[in-house]
Amino acid sequence: MAEIELAAPAPKSERAKPAELVQLIVFRLGDEDYGIRIEQVKEVTVTPEVARMPKTPPFIKGIANLRGDIIAIIDLEERFRLRPAGRPLPERSYTVAVEAADYTLGLMVREVPRPFTLPLSQIEPAPEFVQDSSTRDKYLEGIAKLPEGGIIIVLDMRKLLTPSEVMRLPGKGASS
Amino acid sequence: MKTRDQEYRELFMAEALEYYDSMSRHLSELERNPDAGPALNELFRLMHNLKANARAMGFTDLGEVAHHLETLFGLIRDHERTFSGPLIRVVFAGVDALGSMIRAVGANQPLPDASALLENLDRLVRGEAPVLDDEETIDTEEESNRKMELSDLVYIQVKKLDNLLNLVGELVIDRDRIMTLAQELDNPALLATAQHLFRISDDLQYSVMDARLVGVGVLLNKFPRVVRDVAAVEDKQVELTMSGQDVQIDRNILQIITDALLHLVRNAVSHGLETTEQRLKAGKSPVGQLTLSALTERDDVLIQVRDDGRGIDTEAVRRKAVERGLTTAKAAATLDEHAVWAFLFEPGFSMAQQVTDISGRGVGLDVVKLALDSLGGQLRVESQLGVGTTFTLVLPTSIAVKGALLVEVDERPYAVPLLHTDTVLALHPGQISVVGGVLVTQFHEQSVPLVPLRQLLYDEGDGPLPLADKNDVNGPQHVLVVNYNNRRLGLVVDRFLRQQNIVIKPLSKPLDTIDLFGGVTLLGSGQVCLVLDVPALTRLFLNKRP
Repeated sequence: MAEIELAAPAPKSERAKPAELVQLIVFRLGDEDYGIRIEQVKEVTVTPEVARMPKTPPFIKGIANLRGDIIAIIDLEERFRLRPAGRPLPERSYTVAVEAADYTLGLMVREVPRPFTLPLSQIEPAPEFVQDSSTRDKYLEGIAKLPEGGIIIVLDMRKLLTPSEVMRLPGKGASS
Repeated sequence: MKTRDQEYRELFMAEALEYYDSMSRHLSELERNPDAGPALNELFRLMHNLKANARAMGFTDLGEVAHHLETLFGLIRDHERTFSGPLIRVVFAGVDALGSMIRAVGANQPLPDASALLENLDRLVRGEAPVLDDEETIDTEEESNRKMELSDLVYIQVKKLDNLLNLVGELVIDRDRIMTLAQELDNPALLATAQHLFRISDDLQYSVMDARLVGVGVLLNKFPRVVRDVAAVEDKQVELTMSGQDVQIDRNILQIITDALLHLVRNAVSHGLETTEQRLKAGKSPVGQLTLSALTERDDVLIQVRDDGRGIDTEAVRRKAVERGLTTAKAAATLDEHAVWAFLFEPGFSMAQQVTDISGRGVGLDVVKLALDSLGGQLRVESQLGVGTTFTLVLPTSIAVKGALLVEVDERPYAVPLLHTDTVLALHPGQISVVGGVLVTQFHEQSVPLVPLRQLLYDEGDGPLPLADKNDVNGPQHVLVVNYNNRRLGLVVDRFLRQQNIVIKPLSKPLDTIDLFGGVTLLGSGQVCLVLDVPALTRLFLNKRP
């Protein structure tokens, strides 16, 4: 698993071949569907016991033991401020372990993530209108419009997982 | 345990056999191609190294043969001789002789006589024809039948040992978990197996730790040269005495403290010791004494740098600390020597210029401190004005396993390395008073500030801690007194869990920037437990005290 290199082939050449398929792991944040390319995902698991970590931003839920690796668990709903008021995280949540270049992070999600395959051509680069909606647009690879309606927001983990991004407090430095 | 002699002999053997194999290889290459420059250079170098090693070990005959061959290869390299004719036979005989001599050293036998060979080599060097008889040919054939030998020593990359140690760490964690489960399930067969596993993994752990140990000598032996050089620059007379080179310590720990030790030794020569003139004036012997020693104390290794120089001028440090705003004049006046010396380890605290007595002693001492902190070690200072200074590095023998005290705050366990813990106290409210907004208790006739660990860990923001209120202290308080840089701090916790050995895993990115934690460990229950970094906690408290 660790061998999976996140530096995928240059996206331009991929776009030249319209038939190419992309596999995503899709999960819900707030009331929206988000996806991550499957090659950036290490595993999906029921969230292990999370130990609170002092001196970290609130969206870092803490650290957990994932098969001997100690990883940080992140709540993206809180990070992107997507959590509807009065809807706490359920008792049993799931963790998508994603791999950055040299470490692993856990993204905590409320429902079982599901795999989803779609042609690469369906993912459109992020349009302008989301740019002022929240800080998350910086981390978008694009938006997939599904034939049956609905959209999946595709996140680019490589942008999200740089240590400075992870530790950045929500709202702070969003314009930088 | 092996004596140093034995250890050196084994190292010498391993290297010598390796040299010998390389020599044979390069000779064959040279025989095929007499102009092979690289092979010639290599042979010259190998002879030179073997000569130096053999002479250092006292195997003069071996060194002599290597020396002659080195000279001869030098001549060939400079095109004064060619690798041809009878010279080839003598050289091969020479290398074979080296082989038998090395084997004789390994078997602890007297070295074979090499006078005939040496004479022949001398003749070649002088440009005369060697005297050869037919017997030697037979010898060479015998040699070729005996050459296949493998060294008893294996060189291994430290990286591989690191990996092994990490794996053992994981194993120990799982072992503890299985042990806990077996006790809970109370199945006799499972318990017996778990206990067996316990013993085996214990042995394995110590074997791996043992494989990583080296003599402190490998580092100390580099210092005579350093001391000589610094003393020459400073124009001082210094006599260096070393002891305890046999003391065993983890190789990586030695690596981490290399710079720190270099710093202390350089400082001791250039700033601790006086010039010959000053020493004579002070009624001391003209030659400054510098002692580098290593010893074991319980599970720790102590490395001491002692000089009989001018010592630390405590009052000057006290004044400087006030000047630098590190403390108030009033507070400074009450501090004892050790508390004052602790300022020397503050980043950028330099005594240069202002106080020539100990000039420069502060430069970089914070670096020494940081190196020790990263290991969970300690730095002790003893000094007497005009008599000398001793710096003692207290180091763990191994980085793998550390003793720790587990405490609980808000139903979560935290581990505190024993190296930094002083004592645990159960205090009644009557034993606690409030001084300047800080809870304080008396311990060993010293007032120790108390702070709830919960506040240090979880209070948000950079502002000072809230003023302590005596009315908030209800019932007995569980206090863990920690010690860093001679500063005591009482951490108020919910309860004490137990003492146990832990394997510390470093925090991975992106959380490794939070310096309050030295890492994490997994408890037998599988629970994640943060390991508190006492130096960072102490600094946080000092920054936030109201």
